[in-house]
Amino acid sequence: MARETAYFGIRHHGPGSARRLIEALDALDPALVLIEGPADVSELIPFLADDAMVPPVALLAYAADDPSSASFWPFAEFSPEYQAIRWALARGKPVRFIDLPVSWRLKPPPAEDASDAPPTDEIEAPEISGAPEDAADPPLQDHSRDPIGALAHAAGYEDGESWWSDVIEQNPDPGPIFQAIADAMGALRTDAPPLAPFEAAREAHMRLEIARAEKETEGAIAVVCGAWHVPALKEKHSQKDDKALLKAPPKRKIAATWAPWTSQRLAFESGYSAGVAAPGWNLHLWRSPDADAPARWLTRIAECLRAEGHLVSTASVIEAQRLATALAALRHRPQPGFEEFREVATACFCHGEPLVWQTVARKLLIGSDVGSIPNGVPLAPLLDDLKRQQTRLKMKPEALERELSLDLRSDSGLDRSTLLHRLAVLKVNWGTLQDAGKSRGTFRERWVLSWKPEFAVELVENLVYGATIEQAAAGRLSADLAQTIALPDLAEQVHRALTAQLSDAAAFGLRRLADRAANSSDCTELLGALVPLADIIRYGQARETDTSAMQRLFVRLAIGGALALPYAARGLDAAAAQSLGSSVHAADRAFALLEASEDISVPWMRALHEVLASAHSTPLIAGLSARLLYQANELSAEAAANELARRMSPGTPLIDAAGFFEGFFEGKADNLLHDEPLRHCVDVWIASLDEDDFVSLLPLFRRVFSALDRMQRRRLIASVLGETQTGVLEGLMLVPEAAEAWPAHAAMIVKILNGEGAP
Amino acid sequence: MTDKLRLPAEETYAEELAALKASDAGQKPAGWVMSPQSAVTYLMGGRAGNGKEISAKYIGNKRLIETAVATLATDRALLLLGVPGTAKSWVSEHLSAAICGSSTYVIQCTAGTDENQIRYGWNYAQLLARGPSREALVPAPLMRAMEEGKLCRLEELTRMGSDVQDTLITVLSEKMLPVPELNTSVYGVRGFNVIATANNRDKGVNELSSALKRRFNVVVLPLPDDMEEEVRIVSQRVGEMAQSLELPAPKNVNEEVRRVISIFRELRGGQTLDGKVTLKTPSGSLSTAEAIAVVVGGLSHAVYFNSGKLDAEGLAPNMLGAIVKDPVQDTAVLGEYLETVLKKRSDYGAYYRSMLDLI
Repeated sequence: MARETAYFGIRHHGPGSARRLIEALDALDPALVLIEGPADVSELIPFLADDAMVPPVALLAYAADDPSSASFWPFAEFSPEYQAIRWALARGKPVRFIDLPVSWRLKPPPAEDASDAPPTDEIEAPEISGAPEDAADPPLQDHSRDPIGALAHAAGYEDGESWWSDVIEQNPDPGPIFQAIADAMGALRTDAPPLAPFEAAREAHMRLEIARAEKETEGAIAVVCGAWHVPALKEKHSQKDDKALLKAPPKRKIAATWAPWTSQRLAFESGYSAGVAAPGWNLHLWRSPDADAPARWLTRIAECLRAEGHLVSTASVIEAQRLATALAALRHRPQPGFEEFREVATACFCHGEPLVWQTVARKLLIGSDVGSIPNGVPLAPLLDDLKRQQTRLKMKPEALERELSLDLRSDSGLDRSTLLHRLAVLKVNWGTLQDAGKSRGTFRERWVLSWKPEFAVELVENLVYGATIEQAAAGRLSADLAQTIALPDLAEQVHRALTAQLSDAAAFGLRRLADRAANSSDCTELLGALVPLADIIRYGQARETDTSAMQRLFVRLAIGGALALPYAARGLDAAAAQSLGSSVHAADRAFALLEASEDISVPWMRALHEVLASAHSTPLIAGLSARLLYQANELSAEAAANELARRMSPGTPLIDAAGFFEGFFEGKADNLLHDEPLRHCVDVWIASLDEDDFVSLLPLFRRVFSALDRMQRRRLIASVLGETQTGVLEGLMLVPEAAEAWPAHAAMIVKILNGEGAP
Repeated sequence: MTDKLRLPAEETYAEELAALKASDAGQKPAGWVMSPQSAVTYLMGGRAGNGKEISAKYIGNKRLIETAVATLATDRALLLLGVPGTAKSWVSEHLSAAICGSSTYVIQCTAGTDENQIRYGWNYAQLLARGPSREALVPAPLMRAMEEGKLCRLEELTRMGSDVQDTLITVLSEKMLPVPELNTSVYGVRGFNVIATANNRDKGVNELSSALKRRFNVVVLPLPDDMEEEVRIVSQRVGEMAQSLELPAPKNVNEEVRRVISIFRELRGGQTLDGKVTLKTPSGSLSTAEAIAVVVGGLSHAVYFNSGKLDAEGLAPNMLGAIVKDPVQDTAVLGEYLETVLKKRSDYGAYYRSMLDLI
């Protein structure tokens, strides 16, 4: 076999590259495959052969003492590196990573000279740091230059992405493509400015590794790396120069494992710099290599739209395909790309409405795949992190239930509470918070701790959200937030994020809340979100929380709710009125709690006045509004009495009068004790009821008056009926023969109570 | 110099069309006078093969125009949708001028349009004298376009009755128009196609039947993306209209246009221009054309009732008319916008007060 080293310049996550690469590997049949990836974690490669390993997965490497500085190398089913590894493993060929060891990428120890450090972008964004930078992507140090873009411009394209797709990814007959790519990159690199030290070190390391492999191996070697690196790896460099670049490797213990990944996090928009625009489309290209790929893709679009309830006929799919071909020809592309299909689907399936397309675009272009990893994979960074925190906070996992009382004013108490709250977000309920809800506003939390072995498994499942407990909790909560629609639930989750000290998730939640609030005009919902927010703002001081954004949101929600209230209060049935009533009540309490400014109180009072004034308002809400205005001194006692008298005058239907009465007095009957005019109105109304009506309203009266205690009830009766010195109420007289009649009376009552027939 | 008030596109831009045709290297679909690529260049502006500058007829997303041209190249009919003032008819006129060299096969659809105006009518003198014959038949533009292989333009398709709309189904799917009176049919010649325009947010129109809708590829022309572009369009149109109405324009007209447009864009887009606050959107379309009407209305108020001063008090009633189309819903939307957004902006204080007084 010829001794030969072949260089395959690929595009990370390019399905076309992957397909060409497999063909090239089959033709070359190398004895060794070298891949651009961290050299010190090559021992993890064999796990990819496991059938239980389902991409997307990511190679995750982190500093053993600090998992928060971590790097990821994601692999999708259509990633050329992944396919090359699978190719080699299936044939029993050795396969190795050759890029710089992980420790070079992680945050260097503070003593090290800054010039040797990797570029700052990579340090600050750990998720991105691991991304092998893409050939289509300019190296992070120099944003002014875009190698593929330059080639695309030369070919008359507007952007690099579509050019690469046409020439490499979707070209059915590309010819000796790897040679062509290497030549093109070589031409581009001759004009390129000198590499940043970190990039130079990477290429030096790869060159040394390749030279070592060439010495050790009989037979051909295949090197799979980003297209951008190919010319540099082929060049002759003296080993001495290369070694000089790699002096003083950072000493840091690292740990590495596989983590499940998601298709969302393969996309550009997730902040992954080597990501692709549409992972779903790439997967489709990988899985449908044949000529009917366009038809398959259009059929999938049609299916998704049908699932959303749109009518898409087969005839439309045929027309769409014809239009896609015409559009691609118009743009001089060999085949339609996902942009063409997007426009075609909008024109043919969605009646031109981009919004309809948006409803399915995410599902199709990004996809919702989640990878999974086999059981044997070593080390779960989340468990590591938990162990470390347990040691630091002196919290032992014990199976027996144990009570833990925390003082949030002390650092250790706050840290412990934060850990427990974060675990709760991850659905690992090691601790259960006692009297949750009541603890707001105090500095104490009482937890009951009890560790169960299955928590370890549940914790590891959260790896998809992040490598540390903090990151995972933030990731999981953000994912939940993105799914939540109802405003009160969103507000509740923001509250959870704040108690778990996840400020990013909280900020995201607030944004979601603001967006949703703007689109909601449901008054109950708007008002319902106020209570949890008021709690956070009022009691947030127990934890360090920045509440200014929340305060602004609170004002907006309050104004929105106030504006919606007059219309929301119209024509409600009993259940809906009750629910709106309790929201109004709760909102008013929240305003009182925060001592709301004029921004809120003025529109709120105006809304209550409008509800009261409108003849269309549901009586219960009108009554409640009248009472709230009365309490806020916005309605004088006299005006309130007039209102009550009018609403309960004989002309009003009984049911309306009762509703108003209920709204005004429910839970607040003591108003009757202090206010003579109000009492008089109610007295006159109740006295005017005939017996049947009175009996039918008894449950209501019981609800209202039972809120009074014994003394208050006595005072009420006294003030209605007047009281004599003897303690016997004036106007009531003892029946003369009461003593004799009572036993018979009591016997009858007992009979009735026992259900032995009515008299 | 011509006496005609306005010339069709193919005459106004005859030079550009000739230059594009002369230097056209692309492949032409049957019946087309230029290649699809040249047609796109004609619409979007650029350079002809011989270096002649081509002016932009449509300012906006090139991808939309490409989709429209590609649709016509597949012999499927094209429907341009959009709110008023988004250049639907303008695009349709220029597309036909570029593709078939003539933009004059037009049918203006109205509630009074009947089938005779879509298919063919009769010359009754001939009909009575000689009986039904081809000579007695008066073809409508659609029929002539079919026979000559041209593009037929249907303006405001949804304005005509549904039963009349459905006349088009056979024409669109089978490219054939039966003439039962003569026991014959007219067949579409290669190059024939239909461009229809319709308003997608209008009320009181006849929705297309799904059978008909399915036979069109639909391209929605959006409102301008860019604030500056919209301000330019409005200022220019207001200037022209003010001139033709003989209204002297006060100095501050550009500032007020900017304020009106930013309020329109915020309400239409559902968020403030800085992107920080999401807003509810009113039921009306708040198109550029309406912004123009608001400013012209304000100008006329200023000239006749406010001694030439253009201010918020004069513009507010016009804006209210444009924004509040549904008295309950839209009032709430506007109320929220005023209280949460405009109230805090000092330079919009006059708008806040005068609109709040009116709702």
